[in-house]
Amino acid sequence: MSERGNLEISNVSKSYQVEGKELRVLDHINLKVAPGEFISIVGPSGCGKSTLLRLVVGLDDNYGGEILLDNKPISGTSLQRGIVFQDHRLLPWLTLEDNIDLALENSGLPNAQRRRAVAEHVALVGLTGFEKVYPHQLSGGMSQRAAIARGLVSRPEILLLDEPLGALDALTRLRLQEELLRIWRAERVTMLLVTHDVEEAIYLSDRIVVMHSTPGRIASDIKVDLPWPRDRASHEFADVRREILRSMDAYSSVAARAA
Amino acid sequence: MSVTTVNATTPAVRKTQQPDKANKRRVKPRDLAIGLVLPLTILLLWQVAAQRAWISPIFLPLPSTTLFSFFDMVERQSFHIDFLASISIVTQAFVYGTLLGVGLGIAAGLSQTVERIFGPTLDGIRHIPGIAWLPLIVLWVGIGPAAKIVVITKTVFFPVFLNTLQGIRAVEKNFIELADVLTLTRWQLVRKVIIPGAMPSILVGVRYGASLAWALVVVAEGLSGMEGIGYLIFRAQSLLMTDQLLVCMVVIGVVGFLIDRSMALLQRHVLRWKQGFEG
Repeated sequence: MSERGNLEISNVSKSYQVEGKELRVLDHINLKVAPGEFISIVGPSGCGKSTLLRLVVGLDDNYGGEILLDNKPISGTSLQRGIVFQDHRLLPWLTLEDNIDLALENSGLPNAQRRRAVAEHVALVGLTGFEKVYPHQLSGGMSQRAAIARGLVSRPEILLLDEPLGALDALTRLRLQEELLRIWRAERVTMLLVTHDVEEAIYLSDRIVVMHSTPGRIASDIKVDLPWPRDRASHEFADVRREILRSMDAYSSVAARAA
Repeated sequence: MSVTTVNATTPAVRKTQQPDKANKRRVKPRDLAIGLVLPLTILLLWQVAAQRAWISPIFLPLPSTTLFSFFDMVERQSFHIDFLASISIVTQAFVYGTLLGVGLGIAAGLSQTVERIFGPTLDGIRHIPGIAWLPLIVLWVGIGPAAKIVVITKTVFFPVFLNTLQGIRAVEKNFIELADVLTLTRWQLVRKVIIPGAMPSILVGVRYGASLAWALVVVAEGLSGMEGIGYLIFRAQSLLMTDQLLVCMVVIGVVGFLIDRSMALLQRHVLRWKQGFEG
């Protein structure tokens, strides 16, 4: 399992036609993700980081360059590539377990195994006891856990996370970051997280890719060499954060001097 | 389901939306009493008006006379046969209209081509009221129940069709995208995502269609045929049997009320996943 989930994005470009003019949103993106690695992509809104995820998950086939998973070019969507959206996107008319089970509809698993897989993943995200509950009865954090379970239940090689914690309150967010780490270790699945929260990226990732906008391109690729569990208040943590923010051009000239 | 046992890392299910059916659904006796005040007042006014002969008894019989007249009709005029004739027409027409409306609504909702083929024709037919079709159809198939079933089917069909179509078109694009990510087939998408997503709108159409159907059967029977509750009401008018006329009116009202209430219950049951849905 650990040898699968090898993602290679090479020379990927993407443009939209806006009023007859070509608008380039991704410009020659190159990124290699090793099996089992946790990578975050940070960048300002509009830098194309979510667009990149849409390409990798297979929702958009219209781009230049190549995306390879385990050395095979991807085509369309596939259960090998799971995704968690910022809005949990649980179907309101299905119970929590039916929502998770929906990801196994075309998995080819026999019913008994499907049920077991769903129960295991409900337990993995700590929602045992809520199987028969409808989404409107769940809090935002619980819904997002369910969405993570749905993303993982088909045992994908890579899980794409599109700002999954962006809409949650600060405390729930910290808790779910902890959960994500635990789940990542338990499942040994490759994770590619898009976020605008630099601290979240440092807390979770092996590597952080910083993107710039217009056109969206990779500005730097920073390895995070901090031991786990990571201490958000440590000097080393702050050093990494400074480096990333600098690379994002987050500091105005005045702030840069102060920093 | 152990909704109450929650540990520190799993925030509790929101208190206000707990599936606490026993508590939430029961109508309190007081609320029921409030709803009865107005009908009882009207009944009282009717009694007083008739008793004091504010209106001639020929035009307004006593409530008690009307009640006796009801039993009399059941006993001597086989009222229940007329009643069942009406119910049978409405039920058949409702079933056909709903099936056609949902079926064609889904087809048109999923395919622009189907919508383009049927759209203009249906829009044309829609603007000719059901009752305007009746004379022609009676000429074709006679004054029996068939003509009424056709006309009422048409009347049920349109709200169901239009609401189904609109409901399908309004299904969130995000959910379609999710189905794509989960590699659902077209059929799975329709069954698991599109139809449930359109269901609230479909049921609004069905409920409206049901109430139209019941109202229309009275008119249709009044215009043609020799049986049914609509026939009785117009006959009672021409024979100046105001008591029988009132019996028919009350029965029509009560049945209409029951139809709508059962539709509301159906809605509530099918849409139990919807937040704060109260029918």
